[in-house]
Amino acid sequence: MALLNTLVLAILATGFLMVSRRSLDAIIRLYALQNILLALVSFALAGGEVHFIVAGLALFAVKGVLIPWYLFWLIDRLEVSHEVEGYLSVSLSLLLAGLLTALAFRVGKVFVLPEASLPQGVPVALALVLLGILSMVSRKKAISQVLGFLALENGVFLMALSESHGLPLFVELGVALDAFAAVFLAGILIFRIKGEMGHVDTARMRSLRG
Amino acid sequence: MLYLLVFLPLMVFLARRETTLLVQLSVLVPFLGLLLAPFLLGTAAGPFRLDGVGLFYLLLTDLIYGLVALFARGYFPREEAWRFYWAGAFFLVSAHGAYLAHNLGVLWIFVEGSTLASALLVYHKGGARALEATWKYLMLGSVGIAMGLIGVILVYALVGGATLDWGEVRSLVGEANPEGLKVAFALLLVGFGTKVGLFPLQAWLPDAHAEAPGPASALLSGTLLNVAFYALLRYTALMQAAGLFPFASGLLLAFGLLSLVFGALFLFGQREYKRLLAYSSMEHMGLAVFALGLGLPWLALFHTLAHSLSKTLAFLGASGILALSHAKEVGRVGGLVLHTPALGVPFILSLVALGGLPPFPLFFAEFKAVEVAMKSPWLGVPYLVGLGLAFAGLLYPMAQMGFGQGKPLGGRGLDLWLLWVLLLLLLLPGVSPPVEVFKALEVVLWKP
Repeated sequence: MALLNTLVLAILATGFLMVSRRSLDAIIRLYALQNILLALVSFALAGGEVHFIVAGLALFAVKGVLIPWYLFWLIDRLEVSHEVEGYLSVSLSLLLAGLLTALAFRVGKVFVLPEASLPQGVPVALALVLLGILSMVSRKKAISQVLGFLALENGVFLMALSESHGLPLFVELGVALDAFAAVFLAGILIFRIKGEMGHVDTARMRSLRG
Repeated sequence: MLYLLVFLPLMVFLARRETTLLVQLSVLVPFLGLLLAPFLLGTAAGPFRLDGVGLFYLLLTDLIYGLVALFARGYFPREEAWRFYWAGAFFLVSAHGAYLAHNLGVLWIFVEGSTLASALLVYHKGGARALEATWKYLMLGSVGIAMGLIGVILVYALVGGATLDWGEVRSLVGEANPEGLKVAFALLLVGFGTKVGLFPLQAWLPDAHAEAPGPASALLSGTLLNVAFYALLRYTALMQAAGLFPFASGLLLAFGLLSLVFGALFLFGQREYKRLLAYSSMEHMGLAVFALGLGLPWLALFHTLAHSLSKTLAFLGASGILALSHAKEVGRVGGLVLHTPALGVPFILSLVALGGLPPFPLFFAEFKAVEVAMKSPWLGVPYLVGLGLAFAGLLYPMAQMGFGQGKPLGGRGLDLWLLWVLLLLLLLPGVSPPVEVFKALEVVLWKP
């Protein structure tokens, strides 16, 4: 149990750091690390079931390696600065992140079901979801919004692990496939946005109103 | 055979980029679907199973898809048609999958898949406005649907983490913790409600519908919104099985009324007719959700049928007008009924239908809902006000585009006869509403 607690806290820490860092490279590495930690949690909860370990490894390959690699390739090809531009200062982001985490722990109780296999993971999962939404709304670059979405998606994954032993294998793989397709599609769109408008700043996409 | 039905639309890729062949296959596939699906009613394979409600939406989707694919032949220049048919094939796979899914997890996967496929439809050819609309749609749609996934996970955990099979969950859900189920349903309503376009979650909808090419807008409004609405239907039935319908009903009525009233109010500020139609979709999906909240699933099903047919007709008519006049604004199009009756008459009649006038089926649907809603004035009065606003919002565009000042539109090879076919299809359920069929579907949905 001590190991699981440490892992869950480490996951929360990666979520926090992702909100506060200003370098895209650092955020992508933190995202990869978060997935390694999530894979470790799922192995720890597996209790020797083989299909569980297979699913954990597959998810680790897709989300821990493939997606980060794709994102690194994407920002290199885009030739834009690797700095994250946001509406909020670092200290204000951290303050808001702290408030959202506190909120997640406060309301997390409602979401913890009596059957939950990892009750302490539920508020952390909720915090990751909220922090992901915070990154999505507070940052201007299209690619940092994708990273916010990915962090949110990890929160949902941790939720599935904590409430029960994760979703059935084929559902889990389908969900991962959808996430990968969404990121891939977003990547193509980012290329087109850069080509069409010469920047990847969603704050400047303002032609549609009303 | 069910797997075959799900993946049948992939056949379209056999045509590669050959436009003629793409059109033929894109019409053949839904036609085969229409022939095949009724024989598969009640069969099951893996996580798939076809019941009456799924069959109804599958047939509706295939019918509309076939007509839109045929219309698109004349709409797209030859060199860009393949984008539409390829994205359309992906979309049709996800719609088939969603309607056949007998597992709540698989249902979620295909609903999310339909978001991704329809993002390709919106993007189509690019340009700054289409990119902005697609980006907004992809981000908002994905976040919304992620909330829905949390709901799915909670339901899974609440039934003991044993199964996501729709039938088994429905029989287990009675013993589940009701407070947990309420939280789950609220998340599911927000999640799938984002995709249905309920207020205040509709921000992506007008942009996506207005920036997508015309035939794609017809698919978005006529078929895609139904995919998410279908998921809401299933989860409402789950709440009913758990004895929590009063709770679900309150949320559905509130979201439905808000979408109706705000959708109707937004109609007034719109200068572009495709944005106008998009807000009308928001309003009508609100009406369908409201009917569901009243405890009348048959009426909700009927409303989506009537809306799908009217809105497909309206968007195909709008894409015809846009293709021939190159004007997006209501004020720059006029006199359609007199100058271009082959296009103008069905288009203006589709607006009449959307405004809820007889003899069109939306009149019947709204009338039936008013009858029940009037039992409590708190529901009935805002509902009537919303309907009145929505009708008034459509009056000016109807008058201007139908009879106002304007030039005759020069012809181009569009298949305008398809609009008349759709008009005929739309009139049928209006003249004699097949109420018994829909009540039978309600039984399928409501009772195990």
